[in-house]
Amino acid sequence: MPFGHERKSLESLFAGIGSGNSSRPNEELPWRRALLTNALPLIMSLLCVGLATSGLLLIVDRFLPLNLVPVVYLIPVVIAATWWGTWPAFAAAIAGAAAADFFFTTPFYSFRMDDPQQIVDLLLFLFVALVSSDLASRLRQETETLRRREREIQCLYEFSRRLAACFTVSDLICAIQNYLSGTLGRHTTFFFATLDRSFQPEPFEAVPEMVGQSAASMMRKIGLRADIITDEPTKSVWLLRAVSSDDATHGVIAVNIGSDSRAVVDTRTRHVEAVLAEASLTLQRLDIGRAMEEAALRLKDQLLRDAFHGNLAHELRSPVAAIRGSASVLETMPAIRNESRIHSLVEAITDEAERLDGFIRNLLNATRVSASDVRPHIECADPRDVINAAIRRRSRQLAAHRVEVSFADDLPMINVDSALAEEACGQILENAAKYSPSGSTISIGTRTEQGHVVVSITDRGVGITPDEQQQLGLRSFRSHRHQATIPGSGLGFWIASTFVKANDGTIDILSRGQGQGTTISIALPAARIEDDESAGLANE
Amino acid sequence: MSKSTNLVLLIDDEPKIRRFLRAGFELHGGFTVQEAESAADGVRAATFNAPDLIILDLALPDRRGSEVLELIRSWSNVPIIVLSVESNEEEKVRLLELGADDYVVKPFGIAELIARSHAALRRYFKSADENPVVIAGPLSIDLVNRTVLLNNGQIKLTRKQYRLLHVLATHVGLVVTHDKLLEEVWSGNVRKNIQYLRILVRDLRQIIEVDPNHPRLIVTESGVGYRLQSRFEDVSAD
Repeated sequence: MPFGHERKSLESLFAGIGSGNSSRPNEELPWRRALLTNALPLIMSLLCVGLATSGLLLIVDRFLPLNLVPVVYLIPVVIAATWWGTWPAFAAAIAGAAAADFFFTTPFYSFRMDDPQQIVDLLLFLFVALVSSDLASRLRQETETLRRREREIQCLYEFSRRLAACFTVSDLICAIQNYLSGTLGRHTTFFFATLDRSFQPEPFEAVPEMVGQSAASMMRKIGLRADIITDEPTKSVWLLRAVSSDDATHGVIAVNIGSDSRAVVDTRTRHVEAVLAEASLTLQRLDIGRAMEEAALRLKDQLLRDAFHGNLAHELRSPVAAIRGSASVLETMPAIRNESRIHSLVEAITDEAERLDGFIRNLLNATRVSASDVRPHIECADPRDVINAAIRRRSRQLAAHRVEVSFADDLPMINVDSALAEEACGQILENAAKYSPSGSTISIGTRTEQGHVVVSITDRGVGITPDEQQQLGLRSFRSHRHQATIPGSGLGFWIASTFVKANDGTIDILSRGQGQGTTISIALPAARIEDDESAGLANE
Repeated sequence: MSKSTNLVLLIDDEPKIRRFLRAGFELHGGFTVQEAESAADGVRAATFNAPDLIILDLALPDRRGSEVLELIRSWSNVPIIVLSVESNEEEKVRLLELGADDYVVKPFGIAELIARSHAALRRYFKSADENPVVIAGPLSIDLVNRTVLLNNGQIKLTRKQYRLLHVLATHVGLVVTHDKLLEEVWSGNVRKNIQYLRILVRDLRQIIEVDPNHPRLIVTESGVGYRLQSRFEDVSAD
């Protein structure tokens, strides 16, 4: 089983990038390429010799003395040397000597030579032709090397420019891809394996299984940095190199170097390694940059949270406590209690102070949730207590609604953090009141279902569209329908669902749509019943 | 109360909070108020002025409230009510175990604090009162004769139910932690299982509450314990 899984993930890990042509016609290429590179220049240089011969046949004796003929045959030799290299030039020299011997030495139209002077001339011609052909072809090689170097330097320059602009690992991979295809040319195929799969180049050619396995094992083991594998069916050599920084392997790059001679493979290997050495420096820079960025973010987050938890919450809540307390003193004064208008003002102060405190409490809960600081203290609780406390705590928000509660008779105890469960139910109740018309009924029901106690809270309000339902679990989500009309922070449902999950519970939304009301069902784990034992003990 | 006026010591660094507490206690009669704005001041005042009741804020600038509580408790039995911040049940339990008589959660109304104060004072002066009958709404519990009357009719309770009610009644109006109830009712020889307590409370509510689904006499303090309400209006004021 593990093997099959590995194969599958390996395939998805690997994505290939081909540079240049597809390598499928590889099988028919060698002889055709040999023909193009070797035979054609030979034929061309022989053709040049032929042309020179026919030209000479026309003009010799009339304009040209016979002893200058070998000099004319130097022309095709030099042409062949500069255009096609040493071997075509050699061929042109031999062919030229033979043609001069055949056509222009006595006896004519025969390879026999009687005149010693002509034999010396011809040997001299051969010597000069061979030397000059070698010189000319060397010059040609030099020019070509220079040209290639220039192109390489250009690519390298482009590469380093792109490296400087890299901000992510996938940028870096793109840069390596561009550079290798620019310098290694069309014989190169390469693949990149990453663990995070953030980089997904278009799929190309299937990677030989051996290469895939080796790459996967390099991803897993730290310290294994390079490997060379020869793929038997195609005889091509694959170079594998880990792209890694000090602490992590980001991926493995596999380059198909081709099936050329040992020297070419060596050159390309050195080349690829130089590129990767350069790239790994960039990778380290990226690592450092990212680490610094993350550290800064964490610090900022932590500071903000600490500020809120330690100080800000206290600073905000203290004045609210003073307002609420002072209003409560006023409320009890006989002079105010008897004056209904002033009394209602004091009540308003109390209400608003409590509302404000509710907001602050919500924010505190939200910071707890985002700091993953919710550590439930699970113990056995009576679901009636949890629900009653939630209703009592939100009594002001629920004042305009009719709240109907029905508890099942045989309701078991639940295993929860009662404070979290109460807050979750309270949030849902508050939402039910907010999003349903005043005077409507909010019903709370309970039932036992598969080891859970399900608390369902049903309102006759605006309902939830399927679209909104998807986003409801997100922090700070508020539907566009209500943003202008109903105040809120969008934190309520998010806090409720997090708190329910912290209690190993689930939360479900059921709404038949807009204007059809909403039912939220909170399932909390029931306590294992040890009824015999505990009932016996309790009733003793 | 046993005295005509009780001296209440407010230890809180927020002048606005102290101001309304002072007004509240003075308005309700029977209290003279003394203020302390730091832990050091508070401990000094508690030592020299022998207050009858201490209201202690937990967030003091110079010392943690819990330390102040521990310090005062090391030599005095005076009732202490703690002003706590919410969402930390474990902290509340710890404070009660350290010897706080009760707590109120900020923000609170003065009526709630006064009710708790009276309950704490009543318990403190109970032995002087020599009144063995505790009244809680329609319930009257005779602690000496071990009889319980509900709306003037006697009701029959099991031994454990009575034990539970007895412990709550001796702290009437005050919260009693789960651990204390478990210890008192099961005499500590049963492994502490809160589920037993929940079931016992549920059964007791079936007998004494008008609507056991919406209890008004035995109130749950979630994560902390239970409280026997001495007056019904306390529920609505909560």
